[in-house]
Amino acid sequence: MLWIDGVLVSPGKGGVYGERMLGEFRIWDPRRSKCAALARHDPTIDFLPDQRVLYLGAAHGTTVSHIADYVEVVYAVEIAAHPMRNLLRVCQERPNIIPIMADARNPSSYAPLVEAVDILYQDVATPSQVDIALDHRVFLKDEGILILMLKTPCMDSRRSPEDLCSEAISLLQPTYRILNTVWLEPYHRDHAAIVAQAVPSPFP
Amino acid sequence: MHHYWFGDVENAVCHPAGGEPAALDERLDHLTIGMRQFIPLNWEDAITCGIVRNRQEYLTVLRQLCMQRAERMMRASLQEKDQEIIQMVRLLSELDTTTNSLLERVTDWYSLTDLGITKGRGFRHEKELIARLKKHPDPGLRACIESIETLLTVRTTISRQIAVQAEALFPNCSALVGGLVVARLVSRAGGLRELARMPGATIQVLGAEAALFSHLRGGTPPPKHGIIFQHKRVHSAAKRVRGRVARVLASQLAIAARLDAGRGEVVPAFLEKAQTKINRAGEDRALD
Repeated sequence: MLWIDGVLVSPGKGGVYGERMLGEFRIWDPRRSKCAALARHDPTIDFLPDQRVLYLGAAHGTTVSHIADYVEVVYAVEIAAHPMRNLLRVCQERPNIIPIMADARNPSSYAPLVEAVDILYQDVATPSQVDIALDHRVFLKDEGILILMLKTPCMDSRRSPEDLCSEAISLLQPTYRILNTVWLEPYHRDHAAIVAQAVPSPFP
Repeated sequence: MHHYWFGDVENAVCHPAGGEPAALDERLDHLTIGMRQFIPLNWEDAITCGIVRNRQEYLTVLRQLCMQRAERMMRASLQEKDQEIIQMVRLLSELDTTTNSLLERVTDWYSLTDLGITKGRGFRHEKELIARLKKHPDPGLRACIESIETLLTVRTTISRQIAVQAEALFPNCSALVGGLVVARLVSRAGGLRELARMPGATIQVLGAEAALFSHLRGGTPPPKHGIIFQHKRVHSAAKRVRGRVARVLASQLAIAARLDAGRGEVVPAFLEKAQTKINRAGEDRALD
């Protein structure tokens, strides 16, 4: 990750969504992007030039565009038409984003398009977030990294965020080894970021 | 045999899918993938397949295919007819909020120039207030009220247009609660298909999310109705049967939405039965 005087930036052409610039670099705002907020809380988060990323819940492509500045290729999955329109515009400028309009709850619809990736980044607003993370283990290389932005309010409004988060962790555990869990306060409310590593499959 | 976008791979042998991007795109719609035995593609198989020569070319071809595909799907989704109604409904509620708060501001101003009136009192109707303000000596105040009046006319036009279009698109639902209320429900659900997938109990409280979640978190009584309250069948029902009417109406709407999504035409047999059920629910008889 690139930091300039404590400000997270990414190297790339600006003007994607009105982000401010710091010289030649695009400022990556933790208030706008949960990924930037995570990087502030967890200094071990990194994106490298040879990495392949599967991004679920790409939305308007704000965070996607920053990650794409760092890595080889981002497979960006988004279901809604309006955000997809903006995402496609972002893609025009960035040849290493591959847009996929599909429902992350149904990976079989895009499985033929996506290769095994180093990082699975998930930021989707659905009650079945944990199942999605488990279903997508197949796309992750052994020891690949899962970054799960857990939106607790849309899982169950009756239960406390802490409760939901610890349940999510216990469900993930056989498949993933949890590296870190951070709450994205003060940038994002009731959002936990779970960073985990894919446990190598016992069947080769 | 594993199916990928560039071809089928079996025992390290690749059978290329071939064809133009459009053909590849269409082929993807017809592939059935079982996720249990699924193995992610190895991009180098695309070289074996003779589709590309190197990594860079692989990404270029795949990206082109995916962009075309996403573009096509996005267009199809935005051209769904209910999408336009959804935007119109959002505009309508924005018009309501805006005209209300503008009118309130102007009234605040006016109440200072005429100390004889108390804010919010003395006018039986919005129209009466507007008529009075239009004769006000202050040209600024007059200009404001004229603009608000124009916005109110726009509001009426839009709301009629929504009702007409909704009646054509959602005939069964509209027969039960009228086009405007249906349009609001569809807008809240995100589309007709989404509404059709909802259970009646959800439709009943669509638009009452704040009350619903405060109930679920504990303490407060559950909401009896959301958007459907706006229909006269619900709001003019006797208070003690209002919850029942809302529930029965919502459950019939759930069926109507499925008919609209599936058949898209009026189903008289269903409507007759549904109307009877809803009317029965509205009778002020003992709650059984």
